[in-house]
Parts: sequence; structure tokens; C-alpha cells
Amino acid sequence: MHKLWLIIKREYITRVKTKGFVIGTLIVPLVGVGFTLFIVYLVGHQSSKAMRISIMDNGGGIAPVVASDLQSRQSNGKPQFTVDQLIERPADANAVQKDLRAKINAGTLDGYLVIPADLSQSVELHTKNSGNFSLLGPVSSAVNEGVVEARLNARGVHVDNVRDLVKGPDLQVIKVTKEGESVEKGQTIGIAIALVILLYMSLLMYGIITMRSVLEEKTTRTMEVLISAVTPSQLLAGKILGVAGVAVTQFLIWGATIVLLGSYGVAMAAMGGAGSLLSGIHVPASLMICAVIYFFCGYFLYASMFAAVGAACSSEQDAQQLQWIAMAPLVFTMLIYSVVLNDSSSRLSVILSEVPFFGPVLMPLRVSLQTPPLWQIALSIAILLLSIAIVIFGSAKIYRVGILMYGKRPTLPELVRWLRYS
Amino acid sequence: MDALSLENVTKAYDSVTAVNAVNLRVRQGAVLGLLGPNGAGKTTTIRMVMNILVPDEGSIRVLDKPVSDESRDSIGYLPEERGLYPRMKVRALIIFLAALHGLTEQEADKRAREWLARFDLGDWSEKKMVDLSKGMQQKVQFITAVIHKPPLVILDEPFSGLDPVNAATIKDVMLEMRDQGSTVILSTHRMEQVEKMCDSICLINHGRNVLDGDLRAIKHSYGKNTAHIEFTGSDAFLNHPSIAAINRFGSGVEAKLKPGADPQELLRAAVQSGVEISRFELLEPSLNDIFIEKTTRA
Repeated sequence: MHKLWLIIKREYITRVKTKGFVIGTLIVPLVGVGFTLFIVYLVGHQSSKAMRISIMDNGGGIAPVVASDLQSRQSNGKPQFTVDQLIERPADANAVQKDLRAKINAGTLDGYLVIPADLSQSVELHTKNSGNFSLLGPVSSAVNEGVVEARLNARGVHVDNVRDLVKGPDLQVIKVTKEGESVEKGQTIGIAIALVILLYMSLLMYGIITMRSVLEEKTTRTMEVLISAVTPSQLLAGKILGVAGVAVTQFLIWGATIVLLGSYGVAMAAMGGAGSLLSGIHVPASLMICAVIYFFCGYFLYASMFAAVGAACSSEQDAQQLQWIAMAPLVFTMLIYSVVLNDSSSRLSVILSEVPFFGPVLMPLRVSLQTPPLWQIALSIAILLLSIAIVIFGSAKIYRVGILMYGKRPTLPELVRWLRYS
Repeated sequence: MDALSLENVTKAYDSVTAVNAVNLRVRQGAVLGLLGPNGAGKTTTIRMVMNILVPDEGSIRVLDKPVSDESRDSIGYLPEERGLYPRMKVRALIIFLAALHGLTEQEADKRAREWLARFDLGDWSEKKMVDLSKGMQQKVQFITAVIHKPPLVILDEPFSGLDPVNAATIKDVMLEMRDQGSTVILSTHRMEQVEKMCDSICLINHGRNVLDGDLRAIKHSYGKNTAHIEFTGSDAFLNHPSIAAINRFGSGVEAKLKPGADPQELLRAAVQSGVEISRFELLEPSLNDIFIEKTTRA
């Protein structure tokens, strides 16, 4: 046990001291937070400049309604549009357009709308900045309202405010859970997808770290000395547990960051600041615990496979070619998780989440969407633990044979044969 | 008590029998030369002694106990393929490996400092392995093999790549350990080192031990069958029927005699041929000759 502890300790300390760990642990969340705040800042400031727009109405009668509608739209307390010119029934449409284009190119105008006389044709928005989709919604609904009002006027119906007339009630989705009900603003799907990506990335990253670590001992020939002091199983176990310790450390740091951010978000929301966007994200503690448990189950399952791959190879290149064996089930999970996302309690979702290689990602996903029956969680953990035992047993055999094999990369049948060596 | 004994040990990989019914006894306090051509099965044998591989047949005993995971702590091993964690600091690395062999960290630290000082590596203790020269790395690796004072030390080509000063230090350490009762197994292709250092040898070829025992006794059993001759003049006399093989050197020849041949007859023939003989000496065969004979005849 003492030897195992020494190996875990060395693995942990050398990993934690690397630049990669410091960057991965500290810089990544900082960059993430910085990026989020930057986006929040951009969203807050970008629309402060109103779009200068002109309207050319070939049929006439619609432009004033559209103009007053656009001018009434605000974002962050500032007007979103200023209307420059209203041109109704122009004598020479082409000349007017040419003139407007010149203004856009001169920078005194941001865009102009062309409303055709025949409303079965499309309305055109001419602008330099054609990629700014945030303007499309307001412009489109303003035009829509202008057209509706014009048509109503034509039928002798006079209305003061078309927007109030045509506006239907919002549809609000409310998520029902055992704990009660909460308004769904897309955060369930957001959290679910973030969870899937986080679990997938972490499993892959820590699996590859384990593989590299084994490979390093092999390529540097340190292995020869190590196994003169400890058994291959001690070495394998020490490696996997040492890297697991690194994962725990990283998660604790990240967890603390999230908690700090969450309280920052709440504080900002109370003041009505830009950070209020963050306060909408609330991850239940039960989900976090579940994700951590499944991460470690998945880690032990995948890391031992990655360790076996590392042991079987003699070079980084070989390992890159052979690592698909360990990666394939994980990548496959990413191809099928949408099945669970669409209906997390369908029979297929239940079956897929019970498969040990998919469970570590799919079961937390199910939990995040809709709490599955407890027996399904218990069963999947039992299946996972059993699979971990079997996979570690097999990996240890491949590891034991592989660590002293140099030369050509083994094929899959050869690896299977190694399993039978005593 | 035998430091190491192998009885009828056999190990096969798939179709190749790497080690075939090898028997070997090494008494405590001996220096044994483990010899054999490349691919003869030496490394497989060593790995079975280390309990890294398990023999298919036969039994191995280390210090009179069946080989086990615990017996690793009684063995120090310098593998032929050198290498240690390149990014670990020298002293930390030595302490780590010594602790793996059962030393406490304080004791390991104390001994690491002593050894580093002895090998002139004191200034390098806090440097990373990768910053050391190849020779220095080799010295560090040697330290890791002997720091836990193992009763059995297995050294695979310990002198390769070392300058004469460092080689002499390592030789001194080996003999010191022997004098303190440790058993040293030296695996090498350098026959002159074996002749200087070893009390006994074990020669493995094609997975079998073809020759083993006390080095002097083995050489003696071949008799003085080699004539070292230095002369000036025609070498026509070397066609003499008593000569089995000739090995020419710059200053003379070594003539290996046929079994039962009389060296005096050769000397007479040489004198009669008219050459001027400055040296005629009868020798036991060198270990080199024995090695070549034993490994090429099969």
C-alpha cells in the first residue's frame, strides 16, 4: 500500500506542477469568465448606436406607420432606429435608390427599406451590415405592422396602434419537477448540452492524460526501473488514482469559480447590471453530485482503457493510431446523445443510458432533463462498477504485457491474445 | 545459501522458446558474469528473476525464498535500456525510487546526498534529469540500483558509455558491495571485464545455459591450448598440422592448437623454418575465445 501511495503522490505532484495543469485550471475558467463578461459588455453596448434608416415606399401609405413603429423601438433605454427620410411614391425609384446607396457609402446612412407597391413581392432591406441579424426582427415586425395597418385602413378600419392589435400572448414553457415548477427559458437544454460537452471533454482529456503518462514511462524507459520496484498492477492503479486526484483538484477549483460567479451574477442581478444574465443559470446540487459520480465512474472505465493503449504502444504516433479503441465508445456517445435530449424517458434513452460506456455521459444528461426512476440510476451504477472491474482486469493484463514490449504497434487481435497471457 | 537459484526454468513466447530449461546457482557474495549473444534469453531470464515475467516451468529462488513481489526489494536492477523520468529533479528522483524499494524518505535523502557526492553529482541534485549528460544520467541510474543496499544486484552493461574514471568508480562500488556480502550479476558483452571482475560465469545461448561454473575452473579445463608467438621472418611455419586456427595481431599471432597436439613440435618447426622467435608462450584460452567457440558451434 505504501508503494501505491508513493506512486499516486508522484503522479499527482508532477501533474499538478505542470504548466498544462496551471493553464487548464486557472486560465481556462478565467478566459471563460472574461469571455462571458466581454459578451455581456458587447451586448450592452453594441446596440447603443441607433441605426439610421430611410424608407422608400413605392405604393405609399405604409412608410409613416413603419417609421413611427421603428422610432418607438428601444434597446437598453435608447432608441434603436432613427428614420432619416421618408419617400413615398417616388417619381424615379432608381434615382432615389442610387442617391440612398451613395449616402450609405458615404457613411451618413446605415440602410434603407424598399416597400414594393405590390405587397406580394418582398420588402428589401439594403444595408452594408447585412450580417446584423438582431435588426431583422424589429424591421420585419415594423414592416408587418405597417402593412397590416394599411390593409385595415383600406377596409375602412382605423386603428391607432397595430402592434397592440396583432400581438398575441407569449407562450411560456414551465418545467414540472418533483420539487415544483420553474419557468423554462431554455436553461434546461443549455445546462444539459453544457453538461454533455463538459463530461465528454473531461473524460477524453483525463483519459488521454493517463495514456500519455503511461507512454512517457515507456518511451523514456523509466518503466524498466519502476517494475523492478513495484508490480505492474500497483503502477497502473497508482497512475489512474494519481490522475483522478488531479481531476478532483481541478474540479474543486472550477466548482469554487462557478459558486463565486453565481454569487457575482446574483449580486449583479440585484443591481440590474450586465452580469444579470449569469443569474439565470442555476445548476441544482443533486445534478452536480450526480455528474461528479458519473464522471469518476466514466473516468475509471475509460482511463484504464487509455492506460492499456499507452502501454501497448511504443511511440506517440502509434498511440494516436491505437487510441480510437478507447475513444470510439466516447465519441459514439456524442453521436447518440440527441436521442436522450429529445425524449429522456423513452425506452431507447433508458437502454442507452444503462450501457456502461454511454452511461457516464447519458445518465447525468437524463438527470438534468427529467429525474429518472431511482432504480435506473442504481442499476446503471451497478453495471458501471461491474464493467469497471472487468475492464481494469483486462487492461491490467494488456498493461502488464505491453509495458515491456517495444517495436511494432500491436494489432487488435494481438491485444486480445495478450489478455490470455498468464 | 544461494543468492539466486534457477531450476529448469523455461519461458516461451507464442512460438519462440526464449529460455529453455536453464539451471543456475549463484552463491552469496559472488560476482557472476551472465553472458550470451544478443537475443540469447538473458533479459528474459533477468525479468523472471525480477518477477516481471512468470516462468512457464521450473522454479526460481531469490535468497532461498521463492521469487515474489516482495523479493523485488532485495534486488537492485540496472536495466540495459537506460532512462528515468526526464523532468524530475535528480535527488527527488533518487529518493522516489529508493522509497519504492522500501527506504524511508529521510534515509533515502541521506543516502542520496552521500551517493551524489561520491559520484561528483552534488551540484546537479536540483537539476532535471534531462539537463544531465548521458554519462551523468547513467551514474544516477546506477545509484538508484544500489541505494537500498540490495543483497542481489543485477547490472546490465554497467560500464557502457562511461569514461575510465567513472567506470573505475562503478567497479569499486561493485567490489565493495561484494565484500559486504551482496551478490552481483554482471551482464555484458565485454569479455575482458568479465575476466577481471567475475568469479563465475553463466553462458546462455539459444535459451539454454551452455556453460556455467567457476571462471578459473572453466578456463583451466580447456588447458593451455593456445600459443602466443611473436617472431620476425616468413610465417610459412604456421601451416603446421598441429594448428587448428590462427588469430593474427599486429605484433604476433595466437595459434589455437588441435586437441592433443604437442606445442613443442610447433616450436621446433618454427625454429627449423628459420624465423627469429622473440616470444613463445602457452596460454589458457581467453573468455572471448570460449564465448565464440561455444556460441558459434551450436
